[in-house]
Amino acid sequence: MQFEYANVLVFLGLGLFLCAFMMGLGSLVRPHNPERKKLTTYECGEEVQGDSWINFNIRFYLVALIFLIFDIEVAFIYPVVAVFKQWVADGNGLFALTEIFIFISILVAGLVYVWTKGDLQWIMKVVVPVKPADDPKQSQSPKVGGTIYVAD
Amino acid sequence: MNLSSVESLAYSLPELILVFATVGILMLDLLITRKRILGELALCACGGAALASALLAGAEQGYLFNQMVALDGFAIFFKLFLSLSAFAAVYMSLGSRELDNEHPGEYYTLLLAAATGTFYMASATNLLMAYLALEFVSLTSYVLTGFIRASRRGSEAALKYLIYGGVASGAMVYGMSLIFGLAGSLDYATIGERLLVPSEANGPILFIAVLLVLAGFGYKISMVPFHMWSPDVYQGAPLPVTAYLSVGSKAAGFAMMIRFFYVALSHAGAGGVWATIEGLEWPNLIVLGSIITMTLGNLAALRQDNVKRLLAYSSIAHAGYILMGFVVLSDAGLRAMLFYIATYYLMNLGAFTVLMMVLNNSDREDMEAFRGLAWRGGALPAAAMAVFMFSLAGVPPFAGFIGKFYLFAAVIDKEMWMLAIVAALNSVVSLYYYARIVRTMYLDQPLKSDPVMTTDWHSGAFAGVLAVGTIVFGVYWRPLIDLADKSLVFFRG
Repeated sequence: MQFEYANVLVFLGLGLFLCAFMMGLGSLVRPHNPERKKLTTYECGEEVQGDSWINFNIRFYLVALIFLIFDIEVAFIYPVVAVFKQWVADGNGLFALTEIFIFISILVAGLVYVWTKGDLQWIMKVVVPVKPADDPKQSQSPKVGGTIYVAD
Repeated sequence: MNLSSVESLAYSLPELILVFATVGILMLDLLITRKRILGELALCACGGAALASALLAGAEQGYLFNQMVALDGFAIFFKLFLSLSAFAAVYMSLGSRELDNEHPGEYYTLLLAAATGTFYMASATNLLMAYLALEFVSLTSYVLTGFIRASRRGSEAALKYLIYGGVASGAMVYGMSLIFGLAGSLDYATIGERLLVPSEANGPILFIAVLLVLAGFGYKISMVPFHMWSPDVYQGAPLPVTAYLSVGSKAAGFAMMIRFFYVALSHAGAGGVWATIEGLEWPNLIVLGSIITMTLGNLAALRQDNVKRLLAYSSIAHAGYILMGFVVLSDAGLRAMLFYIATYYLMNLGAFTVLMMVLNNSDREDMEAFRGLAWRGGALPAAAMAVFMFSLAGVPPFAGFIGKFYLFAAVIDKEMWMLAIVAALNSVVSLYYYARIVRTMYLDQPLKSDPVMTTDWHSGAFAGVLAVGTIVFGVYWRPLIDLADKSLVFFRG
């Protein structure tokens, strides 16, 4: 039983070896021109501006989440498509169809919800609910890069 | 019986009601402008789920969803209890001024989703299912905790809850992976069988695995040392959510913990006595947890001036009391736990309801908001609060006393004197801070600046029903203990 864990050990060793091997090989082949500028933070070729601890738009996460949901939808539909013919042959075609229909209608409900709430629009009217007294920093919060707040 | 997914749906009526209501409310929120209907719909769904759970009582016991969850007396007891907890939370939310204008559609959706999760926590018989259910309840609770966006305290609480919950569930799932490695199965009954045979596996690794899994359970029931989140979260969350966390989610945690420890890590012997699997004396560990939990909860509660925070520490202390029934490894202990959880529902929710009425009236939740409450128009809420406080302290004619009596009886029957003495001392300590609230309400004179207490019938009626329940079950508790007795059925295949 304990011996089965040897697989993990071998895997670990192999991984470490591969890393060291690749890096070592690279250092042998590549040119070597150290320069000060190469040590600065890389930000898509731009000069670094300001602190990374700033407010940024939460909609990035929101869009990522919505994308994820529909990504997973596709991932779940593929296996159904793969076995559907088999299920029809077994006489369970209607059952599989109903099941996937329920699944998709729940996701469509999510889409309707997101759409109605206006989360599919990148420029969106935002009513900021935070009371000014509640957050002393609110008045002097920095301009947020790339986001547009339109307060009602 | 061992049913497949589709066949199981016939036995999942309570969950189906909640799921349909969850999606329905979310969609209805987009269509209607009278948002109060959403809350009323959620209330009906919880009532329907309670009714459907009660109707399951006569059904054949067995596994549902390919051995993922069990349908047995224990699960049905908790389904009934948890739907009533969700009912109380929804009812309180409808009467709470804190939650006015706060996206009711999303709020009730999340609350009902959490309730669905607690159902599966209570009935899961598979580590994976248990973990998913726990995580589902946790995720919805995080959002509910920070639901009032303008409240900084709420956001802080939600973040603390999230971080703490993440660490606890990470530890838990790691422990589960170790157990899977040792037993080769995720199914509780199979784990129980495989680990029963003494082997090298029942050594320190199993102990560490159980300790890690305990972190997840301990976090859910706020057992020391996994309790750190609860005072902040209870104080920061909207009051109905706090009430739900302290009753519903905690009870679900206990249900899950009992099922795991009693089905997977113990086996039933004759005469209602259980034995642990060989080489793993988990009760010793939890005796220690129980003692520290109740002592810390009570000592910390002594110095609180915020009543919501005080009730949070009191809820930690009560988790310690309930654990007393967990460690004795007997049916008597288990039924004392179920009985105590049921009485805790009455008295704790009652205390939160009165606190909510005071909060609605004066926008304050500290001790001073209770000053002379009985003499400025709040005679009935004050009387109800006194009942709940004395019941929580375990003073005789109330249900809390009977609950404690059964717990002590189970512990003394097992001759665990140390635990019994510590618990008795703790009850005395707790009387001080519970009585302090009663003293503030009755013996302190109200100041001119204190607002006149106006009681709305909505919350007042609920507090009244709970107070009557606390008194009735303190005098005539037979039906409740019979129900607890009948519910001690664990389906093991």
